[in-house]
Amino acid sequence: MSQRVVLITGANGGLGQAIARAFLDEREDNALWLGVHTRRDQVERLVAEHPARCRCVSLDVTDPSAWARAMRELTAATGRLDVLVNNAGRQADGLLGLMQPEAWRRVLGVNLEGVFHGCQAALPTMIGQRSGRIVSVASLSALLAPAGQTSYAAAKAGVLAMTQALAKEVARLGITVNAVCPGYVDTEALASLSEAQRQAALARVPMRRFGQPAEVAAAVRFLACPAAGYITGSILKIDGGIL
Amino acid sequence: MDNAATLRQQVKQMLVENLMLPCTVDDLGDDQLLFGPGSLGLDSVDALQLVVALDKNHGLRIPDPDTARTVLQSVRSIAEALERHLGAQG
Repeated sequence: MSQRVVLITGANGGLGQAIARAFLDEREDNALWLGVHTRRDQVERLVAEHPARCRCVSLDVTDPSAWARAMRELTAATGRLDVLVNNAGRQADGLLGLMQPEAWRRVLGVNLEGVFHGCQAALPTMIGQRSGRIVSVASLSALLAPAGQTSYAAAKAGVLAMTQALAKEVARLGITVNAVCPGYVDTEALASLSEAQRQAALARVPMRRFGQPAEVAAAVRFLACPAAGYITGSILKIDGGIL
Repeated sequence: MDNAATLRQQVKQMLVENLMLPCTVDDLGDDQLLFGPGSLGLDSVDALQLVVALDKNHGLRIPDPDTARTVLQSVRSIAEALERHLGAQG
């Protein structure tokens, strides 16, 4: 395996950080471009730790012009893009009957349109090099949609459908497109639950524990690795056995 | 070889190399249709590759499907679009 250029959106969150560290561990010379929007403290820490390998890039995933700027900067510096990880996400849970249309649009904008814009921005470079890996972080909510998550579940289900359709479009160009569906993972979202909610969630997991961000990151890294070249359009659940 | 002929030759080279066509540059006619009945049999993924290659190699941006349908009809139509683009650049 040779050096790879990796772009990760939503890199400041717990999952984004774990994914970044997984690619840093993969090879000593991997180059990471870490997309951030409103928060960047964790990414700045990572960049300080690995100044020669990590770059922080401002990237509102809902803005096509931000994607164009980021890709211009990235390709000018590296000449290629090997891996795109669509990890940026946003939740605004609530009952549909009480949901403001603007809240719906924001969730769909980040979780679904953000992936569309990212793929569209990355594809010309990947097509030009006739290789590339796109991995999108969806959610178990896309498969088992819970009450209160109509917008998030719909957006993530859209990501799965987009993954399968795009995988077919670019399969013969050496580009793979896959998605992971994490269940309950020990990140900021889980930390915001009450103890009673955490116990209820835990009771649903056959493994009787929450997933670790590194476990999701390992799956992302695998789907993005050269050895996974014949896997495309796949959806990988990472959920401790919830069925 | 005049400028237009050189451009057509470059377009044929691009078609053969980027789309990995099972033929040589000399097998392609200037007016050979690329898509549709009686054509070379290219498909939408080939079109996507051509759009990317034209942008990457010549800076010719094809902004929408209608323009793509017009420009990507044949070797000649692509070469003419390139000639206009290069001429506009001075």
